[in-house]
Amino acid sequence: MTLLEQRRAPRTEAGRRRSPLGSRWTPYLFLGPAAIFILLFQGVPLAQEVYLSFTRTSLLNPTNSTWVGLENYVDIFGDEDFRRTLRTTFVYVVACVAGSVGAGLLVALLLNRSFRGRGVVRALVTIPWAAPGIAVALIATWMLNPQYGIVNRFLDAVGLGVPGGAILDSSTYALPAILVTTVWQLFPLTSVVLLSALQAVPRDLLEAATMDGAGRWWTFRAVTWQVIKPTVGLLALLMTIWSIRRFELIWLMTKGGPVGSTETLVIDLYAQAFDSKQLGTAAAIGMVGVVISLIVIAGSRLVTRAAEKEGLR
Amino acid sequence: MSRLRIGVTLRVVGVLVVMGIAVFPLYWMFVTALSSNADLFAADARLLPDFSELGVFADALADGEALTWLRNSLVIALGTTVLSIGLGIPLGYALSRFSFRGKMLTAVVLLLTQMLPEALMVVPLFALFNRFDLLDSLTGLVLANSAFVLPIVALILKGAIDGIPRELEEAGRVDGARPLTMLLRINVPLIGPSIAAAAVIAFFHAWNEYVFAVTFIYAPETQPASVGIANFIGEVGTPVQTVMAVAFMFTLPAVAFYLFAQKYVVAGMTAGAVKG
Repeated sequence: MTLLEQRRAPRTEAGRRRSPLGSRWTPYLFLGPAAIFILLFQGVPLAQEVYLSFTRTSLLNPTNSTWVGLENYVDIFGDEDFRRTLRTTFVYVVACVAGSVGAGLLVALLLNRSFRGRGVVRALVTIPWAAPGIAVALIATWMLNPQYGIVNRFLDAVGLGVPGGAILDSSTYALPAILVTTVWQLFPLTSVVLLSALQAVPRDLLEAATMDGAGRWWTFRAVTWQVIKPTVGLLALLMTIWSIRRFELIWLMTKGGPVGSTETLVIDLYAQAFDSKQLGTAAAIGMVGVVISLIVIAGSRLVTRAAEKEGLR
Repeated sequence: MSRLRIGVTLRVVGVLVVMGIAVFPLYWMFVTALSSNADLFAADARLLPDFSELGVFADALADGEALTWLRNSLVIALGTTVLSIGLGIPLGYALSRFSFRGKMLTAVVLLLTQMLPEALMVVPLFALFNRFDLLDSLTGLVLANSAFVLPIVALILKGAIDGIPRELEEAGRVDGARPLTMLLRINVPLIGPSIAAAAVIAFFHAWNEYVFAVTFIYAPETQPASVGIANFIGEVGTPVQTVMAVAFMFTLPAVAFYLFAQKYVVAGMTAGAVKG
């Protein structure tokens, strides 16, 4: 986002002139090592995956590919299981974005006052984001353990217990449980970023609005929201892209089960590659994920541009 | 007046609830590690750690396996940090200070890497590493992890260098310093906090990484902690207390480091990756 933003910004610093010192090859000398590195470890593999998605290739004999054109794509879109995977991915991503940005905003508003011990609170609230995903999956699985998990004990105590307690084995409750875990891990980041965005809200405007007798909700919409809207948009985009590619938390908690109820695109792709050994199908599923991310990014650019034009008029 | 009271009370309760939610799972990991078997499986959960069980941490490390995992994780994380910062500083500098053909393309490529799932790249990277004999080696994981974290590192550092006035370099130019000298002598010392932030992000990206590690590593002695701990999930042989003790020792450095470097990490993330 950073650099794309900059292109639209008036060309001051970076774009003003060619480097007065060094030849015109100088920038490439700085850029070169990293560029080669990224090309080798991201570009080439991606190109191979694009190719694989048009072939039938087995993990057991990966050098032997048969070109099948669009067959993998036709097959997956004709498959009811894959359409369920797409729906699950959609639900997961939308809920993650809404949950993490929503919770982050609530927490940011809560902490956007000075009070004694705020520094400590802010630091402690960062913990979920700092905790490794593996450890989060482990403790979540233990807390959700049917017999001894604290979550079930608590739910039983308040009379909301899931029959048998096996939340992660239930096709109804597994996805919500994973969602709560994901949002728990993400809300520190969104709240910290939104908290810093809230510092830009002009205090005198807020005071003026309050003086004029405006209600809290009105003040929030008219003043605060207008200032933090771009940050909310960027966070939503970031959370969307991250949620589409999130793997380990879901894989370690449910492996996509039970009966595919938590199977997102990335889980499906990994299972196709390593359980079913169908590299072509796996690559095609991956490409669908990449294209969806691209569409989301392009869409968000269009929305931003439209909003800016609106603002100019 | 009483309405104000209620507002303040609600806020205090809200802050406490949020803090509890944030801290509880990690606290629970600690409590579980420090539970006797009797407490662990008792009808009523014991909510406080039992410090007479502190020996569990020593026991967890006693057979050396967990120590090997943690050491491997440390090597991978340090290697990834050094490599990604080493490549990221010049890349960030090029993007910040020069205009050149292909700059736009570079920027777009860096952003696009952010949407590539590791799980998608596992198969071709496996084939690549197989050819160059990098499977089952910590070097392979350093390379793969660096490729994934380098774009974020470079964007953070670019943002930091953007913030340094060019005038500072003018003096160096007059003295005829070469761009590399100016980068190392003028810019690098000034963006220390951002380098620290990027280093923390790179370090823990590699420390936490799982997909590549579980696919590329077979031998127990090259296994990092992320894989070792993940293997505990759904396994019943190891006592829960030992599992939680190892996981806690794996988690604690990450959390402690973030708390310590939080100011810089947040500033770096917001400056580089989010706001620009």
